Amino acid sequence: MELGFLDRPHGAGGVRVTGAALVDELGYSLGCDRMHPTGAPVLTAPPGDAPASFLTEAFRGQDDHALKFLHGTTTLAFVFQGGVVVAVDSRASMGQYIGSGSVRKIIEINPYLLGTMAGGAADCSFWERDLGRRCRLYELRNKERISVAAASKLLANTVYGYKGMGLSMGTMITGWDKTGPNLFYVDNDGTRLKGHKFSVGSGSTYAYGVLDQGYHWDLTVEDALELGRRSIFHATHRDAASGGFINVYHVKEDGWVNISHEDSGMTKYYEYKAQSAAVDSTAMES
Amino acid sequence: MDPLLRPGHNAPHLPAAMGPGYADVFDRLSRQGGRVETTGTNALPTFDAHAGAKQASFQPYQNNGGSVVAVAGKDFCVVASDTRFGLGFAVPTRMISRNLVLNDKVVLATAGMQADTCTLHKVLRIRLDMYRQNHGKDMSLGAVSQLLSNTLYYKRFFPYYTFNVLGGVDENGEGFCYGYDAIGSHEKVKVVCTGSSQSLIQPVLDNQVDGKQMYDGQPVAELSLEQTVELVKDCFSSAGERDIYTVGLDGRGQPPLYVKILKLAFVLTSHPLRSKYTRSHFIQGQSPAVRDSQTTTDTYFT
Amino acid sequence: MERGGFSFDNCVRNAMLESAGYQPPKARKTGTTICGVIFEGGVVLGADTRATSGNVVFEKNCEKIHYIAPNIYCCGAGTAADTENTTGLIASQLELHRLSTGRESRVITSLTMLKQMLFKYQGHVSAALVLGGVDLKGPHLYTVYPHGSSDSLPYVTMGSGSLAAMAVFEANYKDNLTEEEAKLLVKQAISAGIFNDLGSGGNVNLCVIKKGKTEVIKGYAQENPRKYRRPAGYSFPTGTTSVLESKFQRPVSEIAVVTEVVSESVSMET
Repeated sequence: MELGFLDRPHGAGGVRVTGAALVDELGYSLGCDRMHPTGAPVLTAPPGDAPASFLTEAFRGQDDHALKFLHGTTTLAFVFQGGVVVAVDSRASMGQYIGSGSVRKIIEINPYLLGTMAGGAADCSFWERDLGRRCRLYELRNKERISVAAASKLLANTVYGYKGMGLSMGTMITGWDKTGPNLFYVDNDGTRLKGHKFSVGSGSTYAYGVLDQGYHWDLTVEDALELGRRSIFHATHRDAASGGFINVYHVKEDGWVNISHEDSGMTKYYEYKAQSAAVDSTAMES
Repeated sequence: MDPLLRPGHNAPHLPAAMGPGYADVFDRLSRQGGRVETTGTNALPTFDAHAGAKQASFQPYQNNGGSVVAVAGKDFCVVASDTRFGLGFAVPTRMISRNLVLNDKVVLATAGMQADTCTLHKVLRIRLDMYRQNHGKDMSLGAVSQLLSNTLYYKRFFPYYTFNVLGGVDENGEGFCYGYDAIGSHEKVKVVCTGSSQSLIQPVLDNQVDGKQMYDGQPVAELSLEQTVELVKDCFSSAGERDIYTVGLDGRGQPPLYVKILKLAFVLTSHPLRSKYTRSHFIQGQSPAVRDSQTTTDTYFT
Repeated sequence: MERGGFSFDNCVRNAMLESAGYQPPKARKTGTTICGVIFEGGVVLGADTRATSGNVVFEKNCEKIHYIAPNIYCCGAGTAADTENTTGLIASQLELHRLSTGRESRVITSLTMLKQMLFKYQGHVSAALVLGGVDLKGPHLYTVYPHGSSDSLPYVTMGSGSLAAMAVFEANYKDNLTEEEAKLLVKQAISAGIFNDLGSGGNVNLCVIKKGKTEVIKGYAQENPRKYRRPAGYSFPTGTTSVLESKFQRPVSEIAVVTEVVSESVSMET
């Protein structure tokens, strides 16, 4: 076991201790054994030289016992004249099992930055929490908020360091900075794209279908929020790995606002069904 | 690749520890049902997709089964686990503890691999002791939940094969629990089950505690501490009937279930391998409800 | 080219598919304890009653002692479908044999038929059997392995709990057991399997075969009665499941509704 933290010196504030003890800039012990020069914690690699296939190999021939992590999602975000709309579902699956129906897939990095969660739940929540920590450090050093571009690049650079090791993460980083509303897509390969409209996850194709036909820049705030909600609803309707609640956030100039949290399967289904025949009603009759 | 990112890279390991290969040839032999004499690996009709050099694969994990449950109420939390240690089709012992009392207000229960459970519990115990020494107080439930998540995630690429539930009462005296996957994804909930009987127990708890699958118009009656303990015991009894790695109640009247009840600042533990109560002062100032529940659990353990 | 014998091409194919990550469908297995012992004038067979599929107990009270002939029974371990169909096939062949010869079946006949069949399938029929019976030559007890080999011994065990059961036999077996002693010994052996092997569980079923008399005893011992039930039980008031939509349709005129009237005395005997 790594016991380096046991001889952590007291009051190491401001000094990054190299060697056994790992303390960040604020003197807070991180508990993991190393830190990258960029300030991100460094995770221990598995023994051997094929990190990505380590778990597959470790559970060879015992499929019943293989480790399954939380997965599966529909998330989307788009920029329009009134800011950014972020909408997600809330289901997490572990293989066949629905691990949770109430996951918060919109991660509040800080009051003006949001991240979304698709892929491995632990990967997204850990690295976006870490991103929040580093954005705060940036603020303290520079006396101004970090830009969305810089924040998303911190994340992209971090996961790029673990390329090929099996991280699973498809996230959108969004917020409002000096340049206005911003939206970036970052994934576990290290891809980082600036854009106006993204949807990520197993249900994204369904969401894109609704999103593309309803989107234009001049949408009113109300219509934009409803478009996001509706796109997620249709994705949860058709994608078995998506479901639960629809969470919607709106990013405005003075930060994000949590708009709504609605039950996709029950409440929204009947609401939309009453409104139009767009929802397949034959399923209910058979 | 940057060696800094690969701390395990230069670590010594057994020469034949990695890669796909011969190990599963023996699996295949035993799967054929025993009594086969072979003159070599080609004796059975097999197809090997991995051509080239072969090595035994590295198998660091074993599943020891077990199920853990946490149910939170308004001002209490019940954390329970079974005590069966399974290994393949064998039962090396019927009496292991999967629970770790972290402090007066927080209890952890862990299912999965016992060796990883021990290590994880050891790391957490040390870290909580350090926190206690440094800050002169116990870590809160919320802080412990994040610490556990980070501890699990730091081994993201060589995970602890453990499935955790954390239960306790927060600073306001309200009960909460947290459910985890093996690498630290976690969620704050009122009721959670992980381990080998997860898919058997969780739906029942969702229905009985959260009112899931019940008509929205019907309010769910909040369970009292006694009702919660009864429900948890019933869940384990039922799971034990259908899951070979979780024991409900042993035929010989062994105490299979290990229940911890947290209520405000009091922890009641009842485990035959330890003293009946972990710390004497917990007993002082108990509310009548706690005293009653103590009777309930004790009856169960005889 | 025409060739005789069986083709095992699919076994190679299946192994290839499995190594490529395709999971074969899971068969219900009887991770099992079965055993038998010879006593003065007969044999006692015993079995547990658990059937599993992976970690899940598929059936808590299944029957693993199969009929072969009125004087011959056979306990099965392995894949449930294989043991049931193998014993069933041999049972029907023996029935025909008895009808044409007019003589009681011999245990050695059923043994030979079973092992020839299992050998033919080269272990791919996953049946591990304990075969016992009494014929004109006296009591006989055999084990048959999935590949077609067999043993003849005074006390035998099979299945995943066979080691636990054999430990009991090795400790307590003696020659010339009485019937009661034999039943108790078999019960103890199966119980050892139920308690110490996770693949075995449930109750103890016995089959006692003597000259001219066969007795199958289900639930000879119940080792795992449920000890706890929630006192409050579970009740779901009317309205727990909401009615989302309702639609009434007249029966189509061509459909006749036939109600069978059954007299009470008949319906009670089932």
